[in-house]
This record gives sequence, C-alpha cells and structure tokens, in this order.
Amino acid sequence: MKRNVRFCIYLLCAELLLCCCALRATTLERMSLARMAQAAQVIVRARCISNSTGWAVGEIWTFTTFEAGETWKGDSTARAPGMITIRLLGGTVGALTSHVSGVPRFHPGEDVLIFLEPTSRNDFSVLGWAQGTFRIRRDPRTGEQIVTQDTAAFATFNPKTRRFETAGIRNLPLAAFRERVQSAIARNGE
Amino acid sequence: MKRLAAPLIATVLIFVIAAGPALHAYVFDTTIPSAGGCPQPDRWSLSLANPLTRQWSTSLPLAPPTIITAAPAQTDAQLAEIEQAIADSFAAWTGVSDTTFNATAYPGLFAPIARVSAQNACSNDGETNVDGLNTICFNQASAAFTTGVLAFTRVITANAPGVSVGSSVTSTFAGQILDADTLFRPDGQGTFATPAGLATTQGKGAYDLESILAHELGHWFGLDHSAVWRAMMFPYAPPPGQFLGDRPTAQTPDGPLSDDDRTAIRALYPDPNDSLDAGSIRGRILPANPFALAAIPPTSAGRFVTGVVGASVVAVDADSGSVVAGTLSGWTCNASNPPLQFDGSFDIERLPLGHNYVLYAEPLDGLVTPADLGDALDTLCPQNGPAACALPPVNANFNPRGLPSSQ
Repeated sequence: MKRNVRFCIYLLCAELLLCCCALRATTLERMSLARMAQAAQVIVRARCISNSTGWAVGEIWTFTTFEAGETWKGDSTARAPGMITIRLLGGTVGALTSHVSGVPRFHPGEDVLIFLEPTSRNDFSVLGWAQGTFRIRRDPRTGEQIVTQDTAAFATFNPKTRRFETAGIRNLPLAAFRERVQSAIARNGE
Repeated sequence: MKRLAAPLIATVLIFVIAAGPALHAYVFDTTIPSAGGCPQPDRWSLSLANPLTRQWSTSLPLAPPTIITAAPAQTDAQLAEIEQAIADSFAAWTGVSDTTFNATAYPGLFAPIARVSAQNACSNDGETNVDGLNTICFNQASAAFTTGVLAFTRVITANAPGVSVGSSVTSTFAGQILDADTLFRPDGQGTFATPAGLATTQGKGAYDLESILAHELGHWFGLDHSAVWRAMMFPYAPPPGQFLGDRPTAQTPDGPLSDDDRTAIRALYPDPNDSLDAGSIRGRILPANPFALAAIPPTSAGRFVTGVVGASVVAVDADSGSVVAGTLSGWTCNASNPPLQFDGSFDIERLPLGHNYVLYAEPLDGLVTPADLGDALDTLCPQNGPAACALPPVNANFNPRGLPSSQ
C-alpha cells in the first residue's frame, strides 16, 4: 500500500511540474518585483481603517480607507493628508452582491504594504490586484515583521527538492523586502 | 463504500465520518442572504423558459490589435473564428456529463451566442446599471484594470428572492446569479489568440484565448479558484502560447477541463438522475493537539475555532493517480443557528462510485488570509445581523505526514 501511495504522490508531482506559470487570478500577468516597483506610482505601508461599498460607473465598488504609514515611493496623501482611499471591484450594495475573483479584500486593523496606481476619480487602485498586495505580520518565533504577497498563497511541488514551493514573496523580513523594493526603485531611476 | 488510505498527518488528523452537517464543498463563491442564514452557493437558475442569455461584443481593439486570429482582421471570418473559440469555451462546461445543464441531456438551457456591436456592452451607463445581459467584451475600458490585470469576470448575485437587474429574471433564492460579464484588457498590455491564431507569427507571445475564456466562464457559473494543480480554475495559467488540458473535440468537448473542474460543476449543478457520481467523502481536519487552536479568538459569541481552517484537501484516485477533486476545510452552518462554526469540516461531493481514493491534506503555506482565496471565504461572514462572525486566520501551521493505510 505504501508503494501505491508513493506512486500516487509521484503522479501528482508530475502533474505539478507541468503547470507553470503566468498568473491568472482572475487573469493577471505575472510581474517581477522590479517591474511592479517601476509601474507603481505609490508604494506605501498602511493600516486598514474601514470599508464601504457603492455604485459608480455601472459597477459595485468597495472603497477601503487606510491610514498611511511609511511611504516607499511617490506621495500617497496629496489628496487627503494621512489617509488613502482605494477602490476595488466588487462588494454588496442593497440586495445585490458583485463577485470578482482575484481582488484583494482588507479588514480593519490589517497592516499591509500596497503598490498603488491612481484612478481618474481621485483615489487609488492596487496594481495587479492580489499581486500588488503584501500582508505584514510578526513572525511568532522571532517577533520580526515579515511580509507575504497575496499571490504566494498557492504552492507547487518541486520533486527535485521534495518541497512545496511558492512563487512570489513569502515570509520575507520587512527590512529585506524594503531593501529589495528600494533597490528596484533605484535601478529604475538610473 | 470507499476505502480511504490516508497518507497523512503529523500534527493533523483527518476524521472521515459517514455523514455530517451540510457544508458546501470545493471552492464556490457564496452569498449571504440579506435575511440572514447560512451562505448560499452562487449559481444560475436555468430553464427552457429562462435560458442563459449570452452575447459578445464584436468591437475589437485595432491599435494595437489584442485579439489575434488566423483570419484577417475586420472580416466576417475573424468574427466567426472568435465566436468559435467562445462557443468551444462554453462547450467545455456544458459538455460535462451529469450536470443540470449538460448540452446533451438538457438541451436548450443556453441561448444561442448573440453578437452586439456596442463597445461598452458589459456595463452600459453611468451609475447603477447592470443590464442582466451576459456579455464578453474585448474592447471595453474599465477603471478596474490596473497594470498586470489582463481580464476579469464580474458576477452579480441576488441576496434575496424577488430581485432583478436590467432584463434578468427575478431571483427566487439568495445566491442566484443574475448577470455575468467578462472584460478583456483592450489597451495592448496583453494579447489573446484563438487556437489558429496562436500558430501565426502575430500570435507568438499571446495568451491562449480559449484557456482564459474557459477559466472566466468557470467564474460565470459560480466557481472560485481551485487549489488543485492543472484544474482550469487553478489561478495559474499556462504561459503565453500554451493551453490547458486537451483541445475540445466533438466527442470530448470538456477536454480542457480537469476532473476537479468536472466534479465541482457537478456538485454545484447536480443532475438528480446521476447515479454514477453519487459518492462523497466528508470529514474534519483536526489538530492532534486541540490546544493548538486556543490562541485563535472566538469567531462569534461563544463560538471558537475547533478545526483547521483553509487546509487544501485533495482526493486522488488510488488506481489512476489522478486528482479527482479538492476542496478547502473550513466550516459548517446550521440554518436555524446561523453563525458559522469553523470546525475544519470538508465535503467532497459527486465522486464517481466504485473507486478507491487517497486523501491528502496540505497547508496553504505562508501567511494566507481568507482574502487570498477570493470571495469563497471572504464573503462568508456578514458584519452585522444574527449570522455575523469574524473570519479566523487560515491555518497553515501544520505538517502533513504519512500514516499507515487505514480503512
């Protein structure tokens, strides 16, 4: 039986190998951190304050308000000092709910790093949706702040290393992540 | 019934039970009824009198062209080629046997694919109009597109009976889908090619239109992303120039799909006459040490997390080694006592009978919040009312290991 189970695992692993890798979550283009750092007009650490929903331009949107923290790129608070508003598709208004997969949702109190693009309506959207969303938490063992990209949620198995591996940023110390982002920004500026 | 050889668990045990409380398996989108109660899976209510209307906008971006075909641009042949790709993508789902909208067993539930010329056919006015027409748009700009977003599907559901939008039917239940639209990015950040278009010089570097459409149409029908590799609903697509599964044929229109996709759509639209796929495996993912969950705050008054939430549970055919279906462990809900109980339950339904299955539970590694998994978990807890609850964190803090085979 053990052999049978091992056989199944190997077959599963073989399937995993075949599935790389443009991201489609609804359908997203995979972007390197350097490209995202270049494309984002604002990169900011922020704490979620509240969510609201409403209609605009024929769609239901969720508007999330953040308290802006350290800004790594651009100026996030020119429009409303200290605060950032992000609009993302989907949400519930009255008797209707709009569902869009791949859109990040934020919960009050959450600490995040977000890569932003301005919209034409005086607020922001998240670049690449889940791809431009990084959640911050403390490593329970070291107490260090670490960062994980939303799109790192799904792991694939590498039979060579016999480990599940993820694409994207996962459990990276915040200081190291900042260094990588700032290095990418500096390279883009050269 | 089924023999479960469970090759699992170091700190986690799976208890397979013969029957459990109602739980929606796989990864469906859900809607919370406005009157309260348990989350309901999103799905269509189709009948011969109310078939699924579907249309696509023939307005195509020209500078640069984003839809690549073998036929010359701006010709009837090009439109026919695109429409064939759309039809084949629908047929992948309607070709799945033993669903209530299988094209052979239940013909007539899908209206013919119509064409419209309006560029912005996916939402057509200022503030509040969702038209109830289900549309695919290739040339509609949207404020939702940010860098890196190539296409998305927006699905509108009713939160209660008696609701309609535009020309949609009036809902008869919470979770009924009233409108679905798919928008492809029109500004050239991505290009999409039909199967014949992929073989052209211009099609190099383009995404396979059929693979992306079939994935988006999975969202139309109420499916969220799957954690099973190679599933059409897995969130990672093949690179540009490649496609998922097999190309559809008249004999196997559902060739692009995986068994996980088929099982999921059967579970969401179960054919009452299906006696082949009537199996189910239910159970809970529990920590070997129950104190491991003690630090998680209660999710509602008096209700604590009592199981592993967010483990990926996969059923593998023990003989063929193919992944048959997968779901996430999480919760149960009692309609008369609605706040969710996050007890680690899972339910894999519509499994073919007469097979042996091996069950795997794997953590979704890293910091995974419910939001990462899309609406499937994010919409489970309303903020107010009798069903109000707080989502617990997804539990990725366990290590599966093999156990001796068991019955």
